[in-house]
Amino acid sequence: MGVLRLENVYKDFSGLEVLCGISLEIRRGERHAIIGPNGAGKSTVFNVITGFYKPSRGRIFFLDQDITGWPIHKIARLGISRSFQITSLFPKMTVFENLRNAVVSKLNHRFNWTTLLNRSREVQRECERVIESLRLTSVRDVPACELSYGWQRRLELSLTLALDPFVILLDEPTAGIDVKETRSFVEFMKETTEGKTLVMVEHDMDVVFDIADRVTVLNNGKVLVTGTIHEIRENEEVQKAYAGRK
Amino acid sequence: MDYSFGIYVIQAAQGLVYGMLLFLVASGLTLVLGMMGVLNVAHAVFYMLGAYFAYSLTLHLGSFWLSLLISPVIVGAVGVLIERFLIRKTYTGGHHQQLLLTFGLFFILGELVRVIWGTAPLEVPTPELFTGSIPLMGMIYPTYRLFILGFSFLVLLGMALVLSRTRIGIIIRAAVTDAGMVEALGVNTPVFFMGVFGGGAFLAALAGVIAAPFLSVYSGMGLDALLDCFVVIVVGGFGSLLGAFIASLMMGQLHSFGILWVPKLAIVFQFLLMAVVLILRPTGLFGEKE
Amino acid sequence: MRGLRLDTLGRGIAIILLLLLPQFLPLIYIHLATEILIYALFAVSFNLLFGYGGLLPFGHVALFGVGAYVAALIFKHFPGMYLPLTLLLTALSGVPIAAIIGFFCLRLKGAYFALISLAFQMFLYAIAMKWRSLAYGDDGMTVNRPDLYLPVLGNLSMRSIENVYYLTLVIVAIGILACYLFLKTPLGNSFVCMRERDIRASYLGYDVFLTRFTVFSASGILAALAGGLFVFFEEFVATSCIDLNMGISVVFMTVIGGPGHYLGPVLGAAFYIFFQDWISSLTKHWWVFMGIVFVGVVLYFEGGLVSLFTNGKVRLWASRLKGG
Repeated sequence: MGVLRLENVYKDFSGLEVLCGISLEIRRGERHAIIGPNGAGKSTVFNVITGFYKPSRGRIFFLDQDITGWPIHKIARLGISRSFQITSLFPKMTVFENLRNAVVSKLNHRFNWTTLLNRSREVQRECERVIESLRLTSVRDVPACELSYGWQRRLELSLTLALDPFVILLDEPTAGIDVKETRSFVEFMKETTEGKTLVMVEHDMDVVFDIADRVTVLNNGKVLVTGTIHEIRENEEVQKAYAGRK
Repeated sequence: MDYSFGIYVIQAAQGLVYGMLLFLVASGLTLVLGMMGVLNVAHAVFYMLGAYFAYSLTLHLGSFWLSLLISPVIVGAVGVLIERFLIRKTYTGGHHQQLLLTFGLFFILGELVRVIWGTAPLEVPTPELFTGSIPLMGMIYPTYRLFILGFSFLVLLGMALVLSRTRIGIIIRAAVTDAGMVEALGVNTPVFFMGVFGGGAFLAALAGVIAAPFLSVYSGMGLDALLDCFVVIVVGGFGSLLGAFIASLMMGQLHSFGILWVPKLAIVFQFLLMAVVLILRPTGLFGEKE
Repeated sequence: MRGLRLDTLGRGIAIILLLLLPQFLPLIYIHLATEILIYALFAVSFNLLFGYGGLLPFGHVALFGVGAYVAALIFKHFPGMYLPLTLLLTALSGVPIAAIIGFFCLRLKGAYFALISLAFQMFLYAIAMKWRSLAYGDDGMTVNRPDLYLPVLGNLSMRSIENVYYLTLVIVAIGILACYLFLKTPLGNSFVCMRERDIRASYLGYDVFLTRFTVFSASGILAALAGGLFVFFEEFVATSCIDLNMGISVVFMTVIGGPGHYLGPVLGAAFYIFFQDWISSLTKHWWVFMGIVFVGVVLYFEGGLVSLFTNGKVRLWASRLKGG
């Protein structure tokens, strides 16, 4: 049963067609990678799913509910959470405060103006739990802008996970990470997304082969093929599309 | 109320004059906005300086036409200096810094104008050539206003030609859609920016000079022009020249008929227009969603 | 926001000084101090939006002006109204106006937001100018300060500038404290986190428009209250309460004082008043010099005066992440 479904989605920007009829289905609990050469439209798919863009044509369904054209925050609250390729943290806030923003939202305290935030035990407790489970205790009080790139990427991922989402969309999670650190980062990813539905845009094929159950290959705004890792590897068209590129 | 057809035509002509002048000022602002991403709040001051310099130059040199030639050049140079030594410092600082700087400049320059020329409104005499009037639609219409129309139209034509035929024009058009293109096209960006900024100032000052005999020169003209320009940008769409043109004409008509119908609060109509556009189409009539 | 290097002792001394001010300073300084307090409240309300929310409404003075006129009208037409009630109504009058303005302005960002709010302010200014029967235009209208009756202290005459000072001090202190506490609530946190990363905030489930709309409307309370206090103090209201000069002055105060700390605008207000006082005795074109100081701070001293007292540099303008 499809958790997330795109039906014939088109997206064009003033005449430039970036997505040309994408149909895609994400199954519950699976780990699904979206790959493709540069400019294939991978990030745009995420942007359209999460409400950053409205599709020019086509529909998007989450658990059979039509969420096409919904605003970002509404979709996020449904349980679809997303990380960014270009790290987007709250720079002057500490790791703790960054995660607290997610926790406050998750616990629905966004508009609470009658209590002091640092007195709210519910929020405190949940924040501590999140920090522990995501193994960020050592950098708890470091301002985000002062973290190393690797730690920033971890925080980026953690911010996405702190919402306890139903579906997790990761946009090039390992982007820019040192080869040495990639291993541990991928382990971190696997552990923390255990049992959840994960959709991942990735360039690094090793990561894809390590994590993904199924893979969708995009090229020029269209779905080339969807299948298991094995099927994709053997697919001639995929090999052609990637000829000469990573 | 029974207005004869003639009055409507006269008012419409008045609105057209005002609209064209407004476009001359707003076009510089739009170009700078579209190409450099800078919303120069101080832009309206160039318009004001153009008018005030016109006053002084006409007074001392005795010729309106000379001041029409010289004033925009002076103001253009001021624009270049401002870009080079002040605005440039804000490119890395983010939008708020830039906004505050231009806002501060608007204010300082406005005050300087008041210091140098005083606060009383000044008269720039209409040039001899156009002091007459001609009969139009059963009423008398001053020829100077026809001159403004004609002149603005020529400038507009010139701009259109430059943008579509010359190399620099093509670069400008490319830059409006994609600011990064400028470097890719091998143009020296810092010089380009100085030029665009100075050019915008030049245009605004030009409008100021020819508007001077028509609208009179007063210390609040910077603020009035700023607000008008701003409504034009909101209504027309940020960075769109065509949008600025249409919006300027609309504003001109609203201004003209607004004064006719509700003299005390003509500003209401411009306001309503802006509010309506904001609700229905926040990116402006011709603007593009980011 | 890093903490001030003032410890509790320092704060205690500051409070005592403020309370004892009228005892040892000449009348003229009590006047100045009251003026500074009123502008400080106004600037703090502005900084809530600017320094903490990342919103720059050039036309914020519209709310100050509305408060001023509402207070003036109450003083004139209902001279017997209990003073605290007047001030309460004045403060609340800011909310609907702020809500209307916010509804339109918050659809836009950056410079457009700033200028639309300026346009709204000029619109209200035009109304104040032209609707003479209500607002008396630029001639303005004088009012009388009603006395204040308090349960234990009895009737306090507001003819005495010392009483005016103390009343203003109490109200402004409460206002600034409210602002400070607000920022520590979840709503305050929501508002601040969307300052730099409004898209990220959206992705975390925050409704950016609604949050900003709510806080923007609420900010009208303090600004209008400041306007009311202003009229109470000056015993006069005119379009100068809602014009561009007043609007610019609050921006100057906040930026020069330093938007990075909630007390920055207070410093800015003090600096502004003293600087104005000093320079205007030398030349009548003191505005130009104030403007130059402002531009200087914007370009070269982004943290403002308050950064002289805080630990570490306050990086206000550029907020990019640096990889270790």
